[in-house]
Amino acid sequence: MSGGPAVRVSIESSCEKQVQEVSLDGVETYVPPLSMSQSLARLAQRIDFNQSDESNDEEASSSETPWKQEQEEEEGVVRFQPSLWPWDSVRTALRGALTEMCVLHDVLAVVKEKKYMALDPVSQDNSSTKVPQVLQLMSKKRALAQAGGVLLRGADRLSRSVCETADRGRQRDFNSELLRLRSQWKLRKIGDKILGDLSYRSSGSLFPHHGTFEVIKNTDIDLDKKIPDDYCPLSVHIPSDLQGSAYIKVSIQRTAPDIGDLGTVNLFRRQPKSRAGAQQWHVQLEAAQNVLLCKEILSQLSREAVQLKSQIPHIVVKNHIISQPFPGLQLSISLCHSTGDKKKQRCPAENKPDDHLYVLEHNLHQLIREFHKQSLTSLAVPQPASGPLGPKRVRVAGPMALDKSSIAALHSSEGLLDKIIKQAKHIFLRSRTARTIDSLASRIEDPQIQAHWSNINDVYESSVKVLITSHGYEQICKSIQLQLNIGVEQIRVVHRDGRVITLSHQEQELQDFLLSQMSQHQVHAVQQLAKVMGWHVLSFSNHVGLGAIENIGNASAVTVTSPNGEHAISGTHTHTHTHTHTHTHTQSAMLAQGCRVLVQRVRGACVGGSGVCVGGAEVVQDQRWAQLRGGHREVNWSRMEGRNFIYKMELLMAALTPCP
Amino acid sequence: MEAPPVTVMPVTGGAINMMEYLLQGSVLDQALDSLLHRLRGLCDNIEPETFADHELVYLLKGQQGQPFLLRARRSLSHPTAPWHLRYLGQPEVGDKSRHALVRNCVDVAASHSLPDFLNEMGFRMDHEFVAKGHVFRKGTMKVVVSKLSRVLVPGNTENTEQLSLSSLVELSVLAPAGQDTVSEDMRAFAEQLKPLVHLEKIDPKKHT
Repeated sequence: MSGGPAVRVSIESSCEKQVQEVSLDGVETYVPPLSMSQSLARLAQRIDFNQSDESNDEEASSSETPWKQEQEEEEGVVRFQPSLWPWDSVRTALRGALTEMCVLHDVLAVVKEKKYMALDPVSQDNSSTKVPQVLQLMSKKRALAQAGGVLLRGADRLSRSVCETADRGRQRDFNSELLRLRSQWKLRKIGDKILGDLSYRSSGSLFPHHGTFEVIKNTDIDLDKKIPDDYCPLSVHIPSDLQGSAYIKVSIQRTAPDIGDLGTVNLFRRQPKSRAGAQQWHVQLEAAQNVLLCKEILSQLSREAVQLKSQIPHIVVKNHIISQPFPGLQLSISLCHSTGDKKKQRCPAENKPDDHLYVLEHNLHQLIREFHKQSLTSLAVPQPASGPLGPKRVRVAGPMALDKSSIAALHSSEGLLDKIIKQAKHIFLRSRTARTIDSLASRIEDPQIQAHWSNINDVYESSVKVLITSHGYEQICKSIQLQLNIGVEQIRVVHRDGRVITLSHQEQELQDFLLSQMSQHQVHAVQQLAKVMGWHVLSFSNHVGLGAIENIGNASAVTVTSPNGEHAISGTHTHTHTHTHTHTHTQSAMLAQGCRVLVQRVRGACVGGSGVCVGGAEVVQDQRWAQLRGGHREVNWSRMEGRNFIYKMELLMAALTPCP
Repeated sequence: MEAPPVTVMPVTGGAINMMEYLLQGSVLDQALDSLLHRLRGLCDNIEPETFADHELVYLLKGQQGQPFLLRARRSLSHPTAPWHLRYLGQPEVGDKSRHALVRNCVDVAASHSLPDFLNEMGFRMDHEFVAKGHVFRKGTMKVVVSKLSRVLVPGNTENTEQLSLSSLVELSVLAPAGQDTVSEDMRAFAEQLKPLVHLEKIDPKKHT
């Protein structure tokens, strides 16, 4: 560029401010200095735009010649204006830019003609950074979008499968539970509900309860919270009258003076025990089935109690049935049903002894099941197979020409209540017999009574073997052995000697009988002892017809003589009941057994020392009469040494046997 | 001596007129076990009973066209059980929509002198066969699955020859006349046996 060195254009305002006025007190008021825009405007006014416009207009032309012309004019313009002009550099820079643009324009025009210049493409490298950024961005975006799409799809599949397993986990539980439920209980599907049957109808029950329960799926589980251990995805809905648990209470008591508040007292005492490892629904269903069975038992018993005519009518009050098997005794059968609501339970006084006969409750259950089985099999298939379905006896009665009694015999007519009353009677009789024997055994020491109960019993019959022995002489004196067969209402006694005696249910009869047998035992024992000791039995009688009438039984008597015939012992034994001696076990108790022992000594044997002189003046003086035995003298039995009667007798015999 | 005239009167069994509703089908021996299992599950819960019966069919030929037919059946497995005499009437031509074959039925239990009695009355035995199989029961419905065998020597039930390789399945109900719901129940039960055996009403007239 021609011209002088570049002039730096700088705009600055002078620091000094012009004084506008000076006030009277000497304060100068400055003229506010010009702002930048104002000073710029002042300077711009100095520019002569008209002169420079000429050269700028010619820039628009696109030919060469005007360009040259332009150049000359520019130079001329430059000669005119000295380098003092402040916009010179600006003008120069603009002119330079114009020049370059013109050159570029010319080159492009030349290239367009393709006569003097040609353009060759420049080879591009792969690593050329000349790719525009927008394209890069687009391609990167697309690639990332594709990768992102793949990843999203994978993640979606994963999450879906996880959700499914979580769902299926719970779903599978419900189905497996349902399978387990179905393997034990009858289920059927009606619409979208699953119903089950817990009644005994399929095994022969005729109870008109529907016994259906509903299976419900538990969907109220919160997945976020921890699942409790006993959570079951399946629950059963049991009809309201079968909820809770129940049992049948059978007990025998003394006859109460009045029925009392039987209908209101809740007798339930037993807490249901839960088996470990059993599912909740299983426990619930079993309990409900038990309740149903207990209701059926009670309804059957009530029906029979009302319909059957017995001598003493049975009382049926709500859930209780009361009957009297024996006079003074009351058998009560009641259904104890607890609905599981603990608030309503009123536990009765715990101090009452548990007189619940569990055996009878079990038997009731067994009897009702037998009844079911019978109702099933009574309608058994006909033989031959073409026959009509129906009870067998109807088919058979015609051709066999059965009469009414035979038909009745075919059909067992005993009801549940009859059977259970018979069983209760038997149980009561058996326990009372045992009590009688035990009380006698504890009360009386001589002789001893032993009872051997048979382990194998029937519901209607038991047996016990009673032995009466004396202590120390079991091998010698074993003549009283009784076999008692306890039936429903009677006790049959079979004696060792073959006698069969039937006793009624009265307790006193058995007691008296046993006492009389004990008394007879003593005398039998003397007889056996005499054989062992060598004494001879002169007479023996089980039932002596002389003497005072005894309270219990008859007196028995025996007379034995010594081996050399010099002495004779006569003994009678009875059992007299003297009430004052029942409590003590002293010697006086033994004396309640009335026994009298008399000794007959040789005539004329008036021994001074020990014995007592027989009598005063003897009428008969002949020596040969001395060999006969003289009168009797009673022995003071209570002061005799010896633990029991036999022992004393043995000592007496020994004392009277002379030493050789 | 010509046969005595047979008066054709409606045969009734006392006061109640019992009708037999019948559906029949057959099953091959290979499928017999599965059928028995299925019946065991569907029917009442009693121990399955087998039977062996000997049936004699007696005819009384009169002057009129149709001979009078009576079936006498005794049990071979229970020799002391009484004989069973049966009369089956003509199938009722009711509406075609009834699903089971309905015919009048009279059942009589008889003592062991039945064959002699029938002979004395003028009946002559037409044929006899032995049937062995199982009986099931569901409510009032009776299902009899039986294998029929032919008796070679009359009176000798030991030597028998099987008639076919399949068993006869009969579903029958004895009900008083006029109960049409019975056939619905029978059809529902037959539906449950469907793929194993097809029980349908078979008109005996078409097969003679």
